Amino acid sequence: MFGEKVIELLKEADRNRETIDQFNDEKIRQIIEEMHVLFKMNMDDANATTENKSLWTTVQVRHSALERNKRCLLAYLYNRMDKIKTLRWEFGSVLPPDVRELLSDTEYDWFSKYSTNLAQYMRSLGEDIGYSGIDLTENLRPPKWLYIEVLCLTDYGKLELEDGDVVMLKKNSRHFLPTSECQTLIRQGVLKQIV
Amino acid sequence: MSTEDLDLSADEEEITAETVLKTLQSAWQNERLAPEILPHRNDMVECMLGQIQHMERNINKLPKTDLRACIHKMELNRIKYIICNYLKTRLNKIEKYCISIVNEERQRTESGTNYLTPSEFRYAQEYLVNMENHLKNTVLNHVPGRMQTFEHNKMAVYPNLQSHVFLKANSTVNGIVLEDMIGDQDEEIDLEEDSQHILQYKPIADLVKNGKVQLV
Amino acid sequence: MDPYEIEFIGENRIVSIIPNFSYDKIYLICGEFGPFRAGLPMNVPLWLAVMLKQKQKCRLVPPDWMDLDVLENIKEEEKRSRFFTKMPNEHYMVEAKLILGAASEDIPRAAEIKTIIKDIWDIRMSKLRTSMDALMKSGGSYGRLDHLTMMEINSVKPLLPAAMDELYRIKMMTRKSTPATLNTSTFSQSGSSQNI
Repeated sequence: MFGEKVIELLKEADRNRETIDQFNDEKIRQIIEEMHVLFKMNMDDANATTENKSLWTTVQVRHSALERNKRCLLAYLYNRMDKIKTLRWEFGSVLPPDVRELLSDTEYDWFSKYSTNLAQYMRSLGEDIGYSGIDLTENLRPPKWLYIEVLCLTDYGKLELEDGDVVMLKKNSRHFLPTSECQTLIRQGVLKQIV
Repeated sequence: MSTEDLDLSADEEEITAETVLKTLQSAWQNERLAPEILPHRNDMVECMLGQIQHMERNINKLPKTDLRACIHKMELNRIKYIICNYLKTRLNKIEKYCISIVNEERQRTESGTNYLTPSEFRYAQEYLVNMENHLKNTVLNHVPGRMQTFEHNKMAVYPNLQSHVFLKANSTVNGIVLEDMIGDQDEEIDLEEDSQHILQYKPIADLVKNGKVQLV
Repeated sequence: MDPYEIEFIGENRIVSIIPNFSYDKIYLICGEFGPFRAGLPMNVPLWLAVMLKQKQKCRLVPPDWMDLDVLENIKEEEKRSRFFTKMPNEHYMVEAKLILGAASEDIPRAAEIKTIIKDIWDIRMSKLRTSMDALMKSGGSYGRLDHLTMMEINSVKPLLPAAMDELYRIKMMTRKSTPATLNTSTFSQSGSSQNI
């Protein structure tokens, strides 16, 4: 039944809402082929319709199927475009190879153009006052003083922090420390995060 | 290190950086919560960028471990966040509504009431061209002849101006007409200063743009 | 908006701290603060207070409203009244979360205060749910909600505005009394928000 393949395509895309799947080249080719078949049938029947009015409904149904296929194909691409944009904001202008594989060649072209357009816009920010642009892809989360509470498990001794403060890490002492500077010590078992 | 009073134009009063920051923060909040794209506040953005630049130069003169440097850096990060989030929110709307925004902005440019900055308008037009080309190259050029057109009117997405929003009245506004779409019972309401309401965006859109109400 | 953004906005509120160091006035873009004199109370934005507290450079002074008697009164008023009470400030939840989170040792009877604030929040949320229900049943297109804080309003998004939007859409559709005819235009959606 016509119109079914395109629904399969959409369902497939819908199954994975969070990330992008492999571009389904094959299905799209099949759907476009279906459209050509329908179109040809309609062209033939449309010429005959003037004599045989009963064909009119068939032509209408095929036309509707054609419109529907077009609409759904565009929806599939549009939905992927949204996901591809997210990739630019997440990964930057260079995509990891395993992600790049999921895009078709035309999609990758579009991604590059999107990326360039975005870069051009960001560079233009503040140009009137001599600013060299802002990278909008950073600073997207509200800044937090990223401290965590930790318990010291051993007599480690002095720890000098990035901002110059010195902390004395004695066994069983508790501290509030910048997350970034604790990670190594947590991994080494010197500190334990208190949740 | 002092914040300078700023001269935004010869005939305006001197406005402090503090006021500009507060205004920008309101603009950001409104932009996050309004269904449509609002008139840009590029003057505020540039003012803050100037302040940030100035502050960063001064901070770099201090030793890295100076507590003041730390405090100023934290504040600058907060301001950068507002600016970035504000501009990104606008880009998102430009991308989503690109066909209708490009059309409407063309008309607005003629009457000098642009909502977009020149950079944003350039971005919008480029985005639209790229989108159209992509869809043509991937699908439209391959479908049967008569169906190949990129139909702008069918592809356009419009913001839902009838969607409901929460607002707070900054000053008293009387006589807002809430249209009754099914019957003839239009309702008229007053927004007292500091009162809060939920209603459709369309009747109060202008009040958001002129600062009489704040979306919350 | 998400709760972190509202917390960010709430962090601009001015609170009182007692620094353990001395410094001249600092000139931030959002205002002037100081001078810092060890042992003397002074005002700073909440985000700065939390940062200084975590660096162990100050003590927090409990805001006036973070007092059991004051809160008990608010709770009673909230229980008694049909309407929402005006809270001590626009961002009481953000202040509570950040101050009690970073500096509970500076707040007398912090645990009890935490509990009573949570009780007040729960009473208000329950009232809000009832109000939402009444609003929808009465036709759901307009409502007044004075004294609700941003965090509370945010907790009913997107549910409440989306439900009201749907209700409006349904009303608009029932307006059309003629049945749809079978032609190609039935495949394009009408309505104010059209997607491909």
